Amino acid sequence: MKKLLSLLLVFSLALTLFTACSTPASSGAGSGSAAASGNIKVGVLAPLTGTNAEFGKGFEVAMTMAMEEINAAGGINGRMLELVFQDSKGDAKESSDLCRQYVDNEEIVAILGDFTSTACMADAPIVKEAEMAILSPTASNPAFTEMNDCTFGIIGKQDADSRYYARYVLQEYAGVDNVGIIYIESDWGNAAVSNFVDEAQKIGLNIVETASYVQDEKDFSSIITKMKAANLDHIAIMDQGATSQIINQIRASGWDVSLSTNGPGTSQQLIDLCGENCEGLLLTTPFFFDPESEKEMAWRDEFTSRAGFAPTVHSVNAYDCALLIAEAIRQCGDDVSRKNVRDKLAAIEFSGGLTGQIQFDETGSLDRRYIICEIVDGEYVKRAGFDYPEQVAAGK
Amino acid sequence: MKQAVYGLAGPVKKYGPLVLLGIFLLLPLLITKTYILGLLCRVLMYATLAGSLNVINGYSGQMCIGHAGFFCIGSYVEAILATRFGISFWLLLPLAGAVAALMGLMVALPTLKMRGVYLAIITLGFSEIIRLIALNWTEVTGGAMGIKNIPVPQLGGLEFSNARTYYYIFLGVAALFLFVTRRVVRSRIGRAWMSIREDQLAARSLGVNTPAYKAVNFMYGAFWAGIVGAAYAPYARFIDSTIYSLDEGFNILSMVIVGGSGTLMGPLAGSVVINALTELLRPIGQWRMVAYGVLIIVMMWFRPQGLIGASDSVLAGRDIKAKKQKAKEDAK
Repeated sequence: MKKLLSLLLVFSLALTLFTACSTPASSGAGSGSAAASGNIKVGVLAPLTGTNAEFGKGFEVAMTMAMEEINAAGGINGRMLELVFQDSKGDAKESSDLCRQYVDNEEIVAILGDFTSTACMADAPIVKEAEMAILSPTASNPAFTEMNDCTFGIIGKQDADSRYYARYVLQEYAGVDNVGIIYIESDWGNAAVSNFVDEAQKIGLNIVETASYVQDEKDFSSIITKMKAANLDHIAIMDQGATSQIINQIRASGWDVSLSTNGPGTSQQLIDLCGENCEGLLLTTPFFFDPESEKEMAWRDEFTSRAGFAPTVHSVNAYDCALLIAEAIRQCGDDVSRKNVRDKLAAIEFSGGLTGQIQFDETGSLDRRYIICEIVDGEYVKRAGFDYPEQVAAGK
Repeated sequence: MKQAVYGLAGPVKKYGPLVLLGIFLLLPLLITKTYILGLLCRVLMYATLAGSLNVINGYSGQMCIGHAGFFCIGSYVEAILATRFGISFWLLLPLAGAVAALMGLMVALPTLKMRGVYLAIITLGFSEIIRLIALNWTEVTGGAMGIKNIPVPQLGGLEFSNARTYYYIFLGVAALFLFVTRRVVRSRIGRAWMSIREDQLAARSLGVNTPAYKAVNFMYGAFWAGIVGAAYAPYARFIDSTIYSLDEGFNILSMVIVGGSGTLMGPLAGSVVINALTELLRPIGQWRMVAYGVLIIVMMWFRPQGLIGASDSVLAGRDIKAKKQKAKEDAK
């Protein structure tokens, strides 16, 4: 009898699966004309729970701020923007299921997200079938934007990042001759290093030693010993997570070699974790909260009070993505179709966000511009602005 | 009333599976939403995965919690051979299963004398080793960059490029799995597995070659996990090591536990319930995981054999078996 009951339970659950999930979707399908006058909906895929939940929360807060700003200023061509948030857990399979849900819902005109490259790449073929744009603030795998003409990412191409790092930060700004590289074995790390090495060969920067480690490694003493044995005058650290631990362990070993990094951006966490150890650390970042800019400081304070933590470059990118998609929709005028939004996004020229000029290349990625910061007395100080390459060129 | 209900059992058992298969075959024609079809694909995929784990955990009573490892092997074998050598998907499907089965043998051989939690830990370690190899053997597996542009399967002029068409591949694999496994568990091999589950020593003394049957059991479970892995890779078109984490292994295990181990339909039910809950509980956000946890605890408490688990095996726990025994005696 119990078995029978259990079977019934399974069946009823299976039935609810169909009914519960199809009702909201089908109501969306039949209301094509209503969509023309109602809110403009954009789907968001973000890891609101799970191991990347912190970043998902950053997405939610930053994008909501952007949405409120847009709507407070009268919306897009008189219609309100509505972001629909769904939790992908950062899982590729859940992300693609949700992506299909957005594709089915004809009111959704574009998708923002997801956080991880893996999830984004699983979504790419699905959005392509619907000719709908997917714009990720954070996916760093260069293969993502190359997958088809519906995929866009604003993290910037790694080749630009590490080439700038080698040429302008190390050679021009810091005057380094012999450099050692410590990097993380990941899609991001491998691409960063190969581009760095390529650029270094072009400009005559000596790479005397390279060492890598895998995610979650905690003890870097063997790498540091290897670096010490090489005759170098600077260490470049390429990672987003373990940078602070590496710096601390280098300093703890009594070595005062000069350091730089291109991974973590200007995160407060780095300064909190390293304290005096990171004094003089050089780094590149596509974005920096300038203490002299009132707008940027106000944004940072607002974000911090809503989210409970300071914004990272990921949240700033998420904010810009929401503004960017709104601008693309605005340019569509009355014809807010998925394909039109995609086309407008591909051709967009936008600089109204926090991260500077945004213009996509033919793959849907972009060349970011960078600034150079140094840590002085426990604070980030801007050492060279977005126009540093022009200054260098003029100086020669 | 009761008689009438039980009178239906015969025909239902005979034609039920065929009718069910017919309904499943027609579903993509009736459902317009690709989202629902994507979900059905997930349900069918996990049903087979959980089913193959159930062969190990439910039928022979061994304890494997690293099933994601076999799943991973299947996916990578398919992805690597399809992208580098352009081998047909249909050939790779059994090949990926065979490679996974071979790995299953390699896990089973050194662990034949282990049981319970010790075996569980080893399978856990194995799953992580496979994931780390996938992450670090960059020349072959693409490392952290993963493998992209995995070609989609083709049959005649038909291209299985989206959830609507791919549904049939997952359905085919699931149906084949259930059909074959039903025959296997009712054969001498299946009975040997179950005798090992109930009492290994007794099985041994009755002449069951327990090490051999346990090894075969592991290989059989791994084989199907490998096939599902191979079927999944072209569906996702991009794979990397993050998909095959320990979480994935536990996810599969939870379906077996909730659905019921030791029966063929149990894992299917588990897959339906867990995947349905995943969607239904989405509005409660981070409490979803708590709900899963509570569900598993409640299940362990009230129905340790799962929703439709075998209530006459050791898996059901002593209380249930005693009750059943008592009911039998009362009936006499």
